[in-house]
Amino acid sequence: MNMSQYYKDAEDLYKIYGYFLDRVLRDDKIGLKMSKAGIIIKFMYTDPDAEITIDLKNPPSKEGYYGTVYMGPCNVKEDVWSKQPADHSHRFWHGLENPIAGITKGIIKQGGKVTAMLKLLPVIKPAFQLFPVALKEMGLESLIVTKK
Amino acid sequence: MHGNTGKIALIDLTENTVESLMLPEETYRRFMGGSGLAAKIFWDRADFAADALSPEALFMLMNGPLTGIKLSGASRMNATARSPLTGGLAESSCGGYFPPALRLAGYDGLIITGKATQPSLLLINNGIITIEDAGSLWGKGILECTTDLHKTYGKKSTSLVIGPAGENMVPFACILNEAHHAFGRCGMGAVMGSKNLKALVVNSEAKELSFADPDRIKAMTKELTPRIKNHLISQVLHDFGTSGNLEGHMYSGDVPVRNWTSNFDEEMGDALTGSTLSDRFLKKTATCAYCAVACKRIVQVDEGPFALDEGPGPEYETVVAFGSLQGSSDLAAVCKAGRVCNDLGMDTISAGATIAWAMEAYEKGHITDEQTGGIPLLWGDMETVVNKVLPMMAFRKGKLGNLLSMGSARAARASGGNSLEYTAQSKGMEAPMHDPRGGHGHALSYAVSPRGACHVQTAMHFMETGACNYPVIGFEFDLEALTSEKKAETMVLAAAIGSIENSACLCQFADRSLTLPEIVELINAAAGYGYDVVSMMEAGLRIFHLKRCINYRFGFGASDDDLTPRLKEPARDGDTAGIEIQFDEMKDRFYELMGFDPVKGIAFRKKLESLGLKEEADDIWPQTI
Repeated sequence: MNMSQYYKDAEDLYKIYGYFLDRVLRDDKIGLKMSKAGIIIKFMYTDPDAEITIDLKNPPSKEGYYGTVYMGPCNVKEDVWSKQPADHSHRFWHGLENPIAGITKGIIKQGGKVTAMLKLLPVIKPAFQLFPVALKEMGLESLIVTKK
Repeated sequence: MHGNTGKIALIDLTENTVESLMLPEETYRRFMGGSGLAAKIFWDRADFAADALSPEALFMLMNGPLTGIKLSGASRMNATARSPLTGGLAESSCGGYFPPALRLAGYDGLIITGKATQPSLLLINNGIITIEDAGSLWGKGILECTTDLHKTYGKKSTSLVIGPAGENMVPFACILNEAHHAFGRCGMGAVMGSKNLKALVVNSEAKELSFADPDRIKAMTKELTPRIKNHLISQVLHDFGTSGNLEGHMYSGDVPVRNWTSNFDEEMGDALTGSTLSDRFLKKTATCAYCAVACKRIVQVDEGPFALDEGPGPEYETVVAFGSLQGSSDLAAVCKAGRVCNDLGMDTISAGATIAWAMEAYEKGHITDEQTGGIPLLWGDMETVVNKVLPMMAFRKGKLGNLLSMGSARAARASGGNSLEYTAQSKGMEAPMHDPRGGHGHALSYAVSPRGACHVQTAMHFMETGACNYPVIGFEFDLEALTSEKKAETMVLAAAIGSIENSACLCQFADRSLTLPEIVELINAAAGYGYDVVSMMEAGLRIFHLKRCINYRFGFGASDDDLTPRLKEPARDGDTAGIEIQFDEMKDRFYELMGFDPVKGIAFRKKLESLGLKEEADDIWPQTI
């Protein structure tokens, strides 16, 4: 049973993250810096169950992008993985969740080259401003989370 | 007694005598060990009128109840004295190899008084303590001296050594073990120097220690080792050292730049961070005793003005103090500056911060060319810093060396303008390289820490960043770094936990993997204290209150629990720009929660008595209060 406040199902999640990550990976500042990490990251979500893989290691499949995104299970082998509830991730992309605290409390599980992923944290920080903008552009203002 | 040996050596360097002190087991249980036990002994035995550098002054080294168990981060040691830098209680913590070696030699600690008539060293050879001549070592740098001691006393010996800064009683001189692991803060090296004590050497053939429950110790070590090793913090530390997340800290406003005038410089963050250090200069990693994390760096700089042979590399504090704080992104210069400080025996935080302050003072005309002897103090001019300024400070050479060797607060008082306002210190000790404007809890922690501005005397640093979760004591909420919300409440817990960590002599990196019940279980299995979480937390608070009482006896009060204006002004750039720290609000609430007298800055009699500090309360408070 899906317990998400923000996502109806996996397809809904893929639609939102697809739009958002398309923006991020085309961004000359954020995307370029992310690509320097040179790793493949798999994000696994619960509630709803979903998987997104971002390849920052191999040449991007599309011109003008700094990486390639795979929505759903794929055969690309990740260097590092992270698993968390989809709603926690949703708040994280608003800049409202402390990832260190999430890991400390066991809300976020990780494996593989976690230090490489940690280095991405400051790089993706500017994307926190893009996420609510992307939601607005998609007509999903109701999903924008504000600080209590 | 288990865990502890029950034996502390009393060494009088004036009288050339060595005796043993056996304290009741109950004293160990109440004050745990390490900094707590040392504080109790200090309270009971110190001459509070004695100058920090006088023969009468106490200098103590104290192990914790866990020292010697083969678990990552469990074998640190505490040094306690009166600080020549602050005039208050001094304490410092060090890992390395000396702590378990001293325990295996049969001692929980050493209490050293007096002054040797000539340069001396203390030799602890399988439990026999002798005072030896060290005339041939006096004047030598720590690297050479450490090598010489290994030649004389064997490869398996391990030593604590001071450098020229300690010999010259620079008030922020440090002590090094194996030329790499430091009792960095508070000027412990100067205290040793004032006693004509160049080094301590320990040799022990013993291999086994006595524990209350050896099977449980073995089982816990087996269970906890992989968890500590695989913890995210440990992995970052192993891969990139303590500066591993420097660039991340830069974005959160934690990293001071150009004498705290800024806390954001993206390029410096990239240039100085741990992965850059690994990519450019890392040769291999190194560890403290029994540690699987291996956060220490061994570096080599092949060419350029800061070329350096393979040897100990810089920690986060050194990277920032001799990097962004001085307006430099030159990591090779940082490596060299760190090595020079190690050899001279100076705390890199106080030395780096004092130089950064001097650069701003020079820019503002508050330090003149006449005072510097014509040496320009310019932002980022690291060749001048490394080749001229640092040696001048350690040897107190020339007007500049004498001025800066006093530390930033005293140097500012001796200089012009409003230069004291832009020192970054509390109680006279320079702040570590974590900007309170990036985490407001730091402001409170720096101000109320007994030894002066410090991020490791309490656990606030880790609690505020989200690296701690202690549901058993109700700390399972996230803190907003840039507000004062819940900071005073957290600080009460952080004071107790920090005191536990420094008294059990745990590494604050490695023990992030441990729950409080696990720490209780470890201490009980080692030393048989019979703690539960409540009594351990009470011991932590008892120790914190006792240290406050010691400072009160030294003349400190509530008004000393403060920060300089520079540390309280809103940040000027980055994500934290313009945000005010509600310092007074946090401090007032903390005082209320701790039951502190608003003038004296110590707890009232009733509170002290409730924590089992009746004798101490009797000394301080009239019967009626």
